[in-house]
Amino acid sequence: MNIDVSAIFQIAGIGIIIAMIHSVLKQMGKEDMAHWVTVIGFVVVLFMVVRLLNELFQEIKTIFLFQ
Amino acid sequence: MIKLLGAALILFAGTMIGFQQAARIAERPRQLRALSHALSRLETEIGYGHTPLPEALTRTADTAEEPIRGMLRGAAAGLWNADGLSFRESWDEAVRKHWSATAMKKNEQAIVLRLGSTLGISDKDDQKKHLKLALLQLQAEEDAAREEQSRYEKMWKSLGVLIAVLIVILMV
Repeated sequence: MNIDVSAIFQIAGIGIIIAMIHSVLKQMGKEDMAHWVTVIGFVVVLFMVVRLLNELFQEIKTIFLFQ
Repeated sequence: MIKLLGAALILFAGTMIGFQQAARIAERPRQLRALSHALSRLETEIGYGHTPLPEALTRTADTAEEPIRGMLRGAAAGLWNADGLSFRESWDEAVRKHWSATAMKKNEQAIVLRLGSTLGISDKDDQKKHLKLALLQLQAEEDAAREEQSRYEKMWKSLGVLIAVLIVILMV
């Protein structure tokens, strides 16, 4: 089996960068924008996770529910 | 290979956009100061030199720096031409035309445009008063611009790089 490790690294990278943008914006007194950035980053990562989960469920389906 | 090149290009572009925004923010107080200098010089020309307005504008333009110079020259040119433009029309046109070349915002434009509707239609003392008023308002704007510069200049510099890195990571 070939686990795609790069996706995990990608999500970690997004997390780090979003955290940095958040702290920069917060330091400059734009707290509302900082929170929006965090929320948008969260949604993007959520979409990536959902795609991976979809793959996982398809895999399970093909293994157990073989028609 | 080509992916790496694209990533480097995006990084470079993001960094440059951030630095350009920072430079624009840093430029604004400087240009406001230059505009104040030009206006106080114009005040001197009107108050002590008794110079006619088109000539006073040309002389002021000669000593001003570039974006301001073009604006004043444009206003003077509109008056020298025999099109029958009033000072206000000529000033409005010149200000609107040259404004995009400056780093200044709408507030300053409103102040300058309002000054245009009061110059050249009344006596010396009245015009001096209006110029003083505009100078005071510009001074307030300059203080605000300085504060904004100290707050946002660094933010733009780091934000450009960070957003570029984010885009690169998202597209890998």
